[in-house]
Amino acid sequence: MNAQALKAETTTDRHPLAGQSMSGAEVIVQVLADEGVGVLFGYSGGAILPVYDAVFRHNAEHPRADGGEAMPLVVPANEQGAGFMAAGYARASGKVGVAIVTSGPGATNMVTPVRDSMADSIPLVVICGQVGTAAIGSDAFQEAPVSNIMGACAKHVFLVTDASQLEATVRTAFTLARSGRPGPVVVDVPKDVQNATLAWHGSGELLLAGYRARLRAVEQSALGDADCAAFFAALMRAERPLIYAGGGVIAAGASAALRAFVDAFGLPVTTTLMGLGGFDSTDPLALHLLGMHGTAYANYAVDDCDFVLALGARFDDRVAGVPDRFAPRAKFIAQVDIDPAEIGKVKAVDWHHVGPLVRALERLTAWGRAHGHQPRLAAWHAHVAKLKRVHAMNYDRASALIQPYAVIEAINRHTRGNAIVSTGVGQHQMWAAQYFDFRAPRHWLTSGSMGTMGFGLPAAIGAQFAHRDKLVIDIDGDASIRMNLGELETVTTYELPVKVVVLNNVGDGMVRQWQKLYFKGRFAASDKSLHRKDFVRAAQADGFAWAQRLERNEELEATVAAFLAYPGPAFLEVMIDPDAGVYPMVGPGASYAQMITGDFIPSRAAPAAPGDSPSHMF
Amino acid sequence: MNHTLSILLQNEAGALVRVAGLFAARGYNIDTLTVAATHDPAVSRLTLSLQCDEAALGQILQQTRKLVDVLQVAHPAAALAA
Ligand SMILES: Cc1ncc(C[n+]2csc(CCOP(=O)(O)OP(=O)(O)O)c2C)c(N)n1
Ligand SMILES: [Mg+2]
Repeated sequence: MNAQALKAETTTDRHPLAGQSMSGAEVIVQVLADEGVGVLFGYSGGAILPVYDAVFRHNAEHPRADGGEAMPLVVPANEQGAGFMAAGYARASGKVGVAIVTSGPGATNMVTPVRDSMADSIPLVVICGQVGTAAIGSDAFQEAPVSNIMGACAKHVFLVTDASQLEATVRTAFTLARSGRPGPVVVDVPKDVQNATLAWHGSGELLLAGYRARLRAVEQSALGDADCAAFFAALMRAERPLIYAGGGVIAAGASAALRAFVDAFGLPVTTTLMGLGGFDSTDPLALHLLGMHGTAYANYAVDDCDFVLALGARFDDRVAGVPDRFAPRAKFIAQVDIDPAEIGKVKAVDWHHVGPLVRALERLTAWGRAHGHQPRLAAWHAHVAKLKRVHAMNYDRASALIQPYAVIEAINRHTRGNAIVSTGVGQHQMWAAQYFDFRAPRHWLTSGSMGTMGFGLPAAIGAQFAHRDKLVIDIDGDASIRMNLGELETVTTYELPVKVVVLNNVGDGMVRQWQKLYFKGRFAASDKSLHRKDFVRAAQADGFAWAQRLERNEELEATVAAFLAYPGPAFLEVMIDPDAGVYPMVGPGASYAQMITGDFIPSRAAPAAPGDSPSHMF
Repeated sequence: MNHTLSILLQNEAGALVRVAGLFAARGYNIDTLTVAATHDPAVSRLTLSLQCDEAALGQILQQTRKLVDVLQVAHPAAALAA
């Protein structure tokens, strides 16, 4: 048996279609059906036509009870849109998102969402058509080295050159995407492999002996008594312990286990941008977002704490810009992650565990309770409550101009953490992260690590396919939404009730903020006041029956209410104060103590004046 | 410090590129690299030497172990010293 060999069939349940003859394309669609894929996102083209035809026939032959298609194929304006729709679907549902694209330009347009999903650990399976095996390497029409390109940015990429391995490969792609630390898996399928005549097996995956052995070791690893004892010995010595929760809490479905741990031991929780929703932000012990644009109270609490428990968080540079000065008073740092490579990668830790987060938290909770550990944190709780009160988020409430923070607050008064919110990238993204309530996981879809402008609209579309009855709102920027503006039409084509908000500050606000701070206000290429786009008419042209521009503060409440109450797709452009900034801000190279809090959030120390130092972090 | 790593790799399309690409992307400079067949035709052995400190070495080992078609990563000198 070689490495490509199939796993021995361990089950005696025969697939009802086992032994049936199918084309490679039909095999792909059958695996998707067996995996429970309910929607596909993709754009057609020559090298993927057999698969598209097989999807068409599958849907014709398997109508749902309600008459709908079993596996509707959602067509974007651009493959990047399909990738972010699949990612939005995956983020909102926890299931694997699936995109199918053609070779060459179709596949290269998919690179950004694949890299974005890798960086945020989002499970995707991307099927790419490829030129025929005989033509690979000949500079054929619409040929691109997908295996090389995607290999550098996906969790894994398969180039299927042996048709007999196709079924096992596509099935394995799902296992890889969702297991361990999730991520995107690309399957590159030459056209002749799609057209090959194959016998359907109905089960079997690739061996991948190395990956599976490592995965098993991680999944089976459990916290021993000595580990628990060491953890609680440190926790019981701590006076100001803090939980720093990241996207791993969402990916692992660990928010209930985290809640139980906090109920048992009373540690306050701050969350990363990816961790929002992992812990109810309205809880008295919630400190909301930390980091570069974290709340002042979260960042001060990080500065004050003497014990850190990092859960599925990786000390990235937006949180620990200066690792040595992150949590400088912490005498003990504990870290739990599913990925061994994240332990101590940025900052040395005193205690760690590599394994599934839910089990680790449940074990710690049970062990601590059984041993009667009850940290006495009344003074720390009082300190945290005071930080939240004194350094609360705030802004210029008297301004005649519409403040973006007020827009988010107005929307939040209706949604209260129950809507799914996606964003573009920039100031509006940070305002949304700061001013919305986050009460449950998978309600916050944002491009965290890559920070990809253009993410918001297609991600909202994907999320609406995952949750047809939920309110899905894209909070976008005037520049970000331009990147995938073609997807406005996708919203109306599929009659999705997505709500799109553009916080229009006439340009790349976040870029201008950095230019104000670090480039003496020289707004190179970030001002769009000469641009001619009429967003409302653009939305109307794409079929939005409700499309309005809000320009007056006093109309804010009523307009937001009407916008959210509209049953169908709705588009709201808000002309906001173009000078509104994102505060607090921990500048690049600065410590949390040097955070700038702006004019409306009290700081507890005079911040260091930002110099004209060139930015290398943006 | 000079380190020699021994990597067992599944002979898949693009597997060698992914190992080399990982080192390049993370800024580790490979000094020497040999690829040899093993008794299993589906598996090859990469022997690779590079200069790095201990902290970087730990990361390289962990990151290399995340590549799906890597079967095993060994650092024979460290194993001997241990
Ligand atoms: C694809 C992409 N290109 C460039 C950037 C760099 N960038 C970050 S924020 C930003 C400005 C975003 O402007 P807008 O969407 O209007 O948001 P605002 O900051 O104004 O709220 C830019 C250009 C990026 N993050 N993504
Ligand atoms: Mg803008």
